[in-house]
Amino acid sequence: MPPAIVPLAEPSRTAAGPVSRTGGDESPTPPAPRVDRLDPERLHPALWRGHQLGRHAEQGCATGYEALDAQLPGGGWPRRALSELLLAHPGIGEIRLLAPALAAVQQAGRLVMLFDPPAVLSGWALAGMGLDVEQLLLIQAASQVPVDPGAAPPGPSRQVGVQARLWALEQALKSGHVGAVLAWLPPRLAPDRVRRLQLAAQAHDGPAFVLREASAQSSPSASPLRLGLRAAGVDQLAVNVLKRRGPPLLQPLHLRLPAMLSPVAARRARSAGEAEVRPVEVPMGAEQGAEAFAAAVAPRLPSATFVNLA
Amino acid sequence: MLWIGLYLPWLSLEAFAATLPPEARGTPIALMHLHQVVSLNRAAHALGVQRGMKRATALALAPQLLFGEAHEGRDAAALQAVAHAALAFSPVVNLSPPAGVLLEVSTTLRYFGGIDRLAQRLDDTLAPLGHRVFRARAPTAQGAALLSRWRDGVQCPDLATLQAALDDAPLPVLTAAQPHLETFQGMGLRHLGELRRLPRAGLARRFGEGLLDELDSASGDRPDPRESVVLPPAFDSEVELFARADTTDQLLHGAEVLLARLVVWLSARHAFVRRFQLVLRHEGRLRRTEGPSVTPVDVALAEPSRDAGHLQSLLRERLAAFVLPAPTLELALHAHDIAQQPPPNTELFPTPRNEREGLVRLIERLQARLGPARVQRLVRVPDHRPDRCAHTLPYEPGAAPRAPEPVVTSRRPVRRQARGAAERAAVSPAPTKPPVLLAHPLEPERPAPSMRPVWLMPEPVPLAERQSRPLLDGQVLQLLCGPERIEAGWWDEGLAERDYFIAGTAEGALVWVYRARLPLSGGEGWFLQGRFG
Repeated sequence: MPPAIVPLAEPSRTAAGPVSRTGGDESPTPPAPRVDRLDPERLHPALWRGHQLGRHAEQGCATGYEALDAQLPGGGWPRRALSELLLAHPGIGEIRLLAPALAAVQQAGRLVMLFDPPAVLSGWALAGMGLDVEQLLLIQAASQVPVDPGAAPPGPSRQVGVQARLWALEQALKSGHVGAVLAWLPPRLAPDRVRRLQLAAQAHDGPAFVLREASAQSSPSASPLRLGLRAAGVDQLAVNVLKRRGPPLLQPLHLRLPAMLSPVAARRARSAGEAEVRPVEVPMGAEQGAEAFAAAVAPRLPSATFVNLA
Repeated sequence: MLWIGLYLPWLSLEAFAATLPPEARGTPIALMHLHQVVSLNRAAHALGVQRGMKRATALALAPQLLFGEAHEGRDAAALQAVAHAALAFSPVVNLSPPAGVLLEVSTTLRYFGGIDRLAQRLDDTLAPLGHRVFRARAPTAQGAALLSRWRDGVQCPDLATLQAALDDAPLPVLTAAQPHLETFQGMGLRHLGELRRLPRAGLARRFGEGLLDELDSASGDRPDPRESVVLPPAFDSEVELFARADTTDQLLHGAEVLLARLVVWLSARHAFVRRFQLVLRHEGRLRRTEGPSVTPVDVALAEPSRDAGHLQSLLRERLAAFVLPAPTLELALHAHDIAQQPPPNTELFPTPRNEREGLVRLIERLQARLGPARVQRLVRVPDHRPDRCAHTLPYEPGAAPRAPEPVVTSRRPVRRQARGAAERAAVSPAPTKPPVLLAHPLEPERPAPSMRPVWLMPEPVPLAERQSRPLLDGQVLQLLCGPERIEAGWWDEGLAERDYFIAGTAEGALVWVYRARLPLSGGEGWFLQGRFG
């Protein structure tokens, strides 16, 4: 049953409206205690009010970031649904964002499948994030990277490749035996293809991430959760909740990712004057932050010290 | 002794119908031998066609009649599959030509839980082969053969009831009586009992010793030594298609019967197939196409299996990506690589074990459709050079893990989930190796992994330079951390002498750049090596 949004803001009316229709209670002014008892969220787990976060029958997968968990329906990455992440280009911290959830899936003894990663993945770095490389499987359905120059047939054309990727992704989602799925899809994709994937994902007991370019933001999508990701400084990520089951979130979330820089380098960057270590949940304009960061760091880092040629 | 006699009354017709394309099912069929109709199906019979008719007569009655030639080799191959199916239930299986199979089950009754359960399982095993089977039970082999030819479901627990049943059986069930049927009719003999009551000496003189021998061995008065069917060590079977197969569906339909035979053979061997080969033999006369006359299609399985539906789906995925060079006339199936395993337990509720099985099947399907090289696993190579430390290998079905270098870990991912299934690990030919022992001596040499980017460029990307600082996308990179010097590879061709920096882009993302120290080690200037994901 698709979850319904009860759009009325006023609590008493909200309760009275749907109940009087469905329950057959025709009294125009229900008494106050009954209103309390007939709250929509008590009627059915798939009902919630317009100003509340959507609720799912089952708990989501914890993201590992409390600030993000608080803003996601179900308290984490949704199971049995697509989560769409839109980012300008790979390499802004998206793997660090997803790594805790993927590691949790792997610790439950399940496999993580990656579909067409856009570049070579470093197993050492993934292991450093707590992922088990043995429980990762890469499906290079459409990639341009020559997988096996010896025996493999010549690479399929792009359209065929995308179709093969979608087919493979759909099979993996439908089978329900994969723990988590991470797929890089092209930005231009017919909405019905995404919808097909979303339907297939209902059999998939685990998070399913679809990473697309930021230009896909304008096209409609059937996935119930869409996040826009943007780098917001060193080891920080701005998460813009574009779509969720619940009220829209106007301010982007700022998450502090696990530090990539060594403590020494981080200290150096701090001493360079950039206030990059911000409180985690302070909303701030990202362009503003990046500019401030660049302006602050640029003049203080003498490049000549690093370029020390033998 | 307890013999089960199986008789396939429409063996040649069914063996012929299996070679027809799917759309030809249900049409009237007649099989010809020496210009006479010898076998016909129900649809042809309804049109008035009878046995012994000439072709022209039959065509006059039913213009749409489909004629096939009776083929002994085809019938023998189909009968052999039935014998293989019976071998799963008894080690003593005999052929009783032309269309019968006998199996002695008194030794295996207890294992299968009684004669009724055994018969039920025998029916289930035979069902995929698509034959109508008459079954009879008797204490002698010949008696079971004769009774199964008479009618379905005769049961004789001891010799007395067998004798009574045989006395009622009609004369045509006797093989030796076939040339003399008209004489017997003239003598007024219709049943075996009437024949048995005649003087033996006269019978032997007029009709030969064979008639009496057959009767005596049926009633158990004469020893009846028989040669048992021996299971071949490898599976080879072929089928000649009635019509040219141009499409995948037609091929799959033709391969269905071969796969059913393969599954029957596997269950008789108590084995599972690891890889098999479907050979398509094309029309040889089409010289214009210049194509090969034989196309082999190999299917490899990650986990040995004998599930006909799964094998068929794998074959379908393989054939879907296949361009047939020419129409196919014959199909052959070869399976030489099998694995002896205990059969899997059946479970009611989902368990980690059947989740793992489902996962293996998913991976097999992906491999069959996309190609084995496109399903990969990551390998960590202990090398300081970033372009060599990441490596992918095709996910290997079945075989023991192999790696090009002293790779740290090469265990297959799904294995780990099966750790709980101890019985699998005990039987598996490739036990899981403890990779941790290999990994430890090498790991301390690695720098802190958090300093390494997740995304690596396949080739380092040269960066433009402004005031000795690198530019990425037209913006100056801020060097935040470094230099970290990597000098390695003097022992092989890939010498690298580089100073690595972690740099920040204007938007705040981190990238990994390096500056080649010496011009002789691969270019000069700044290069982009990776991005921190």
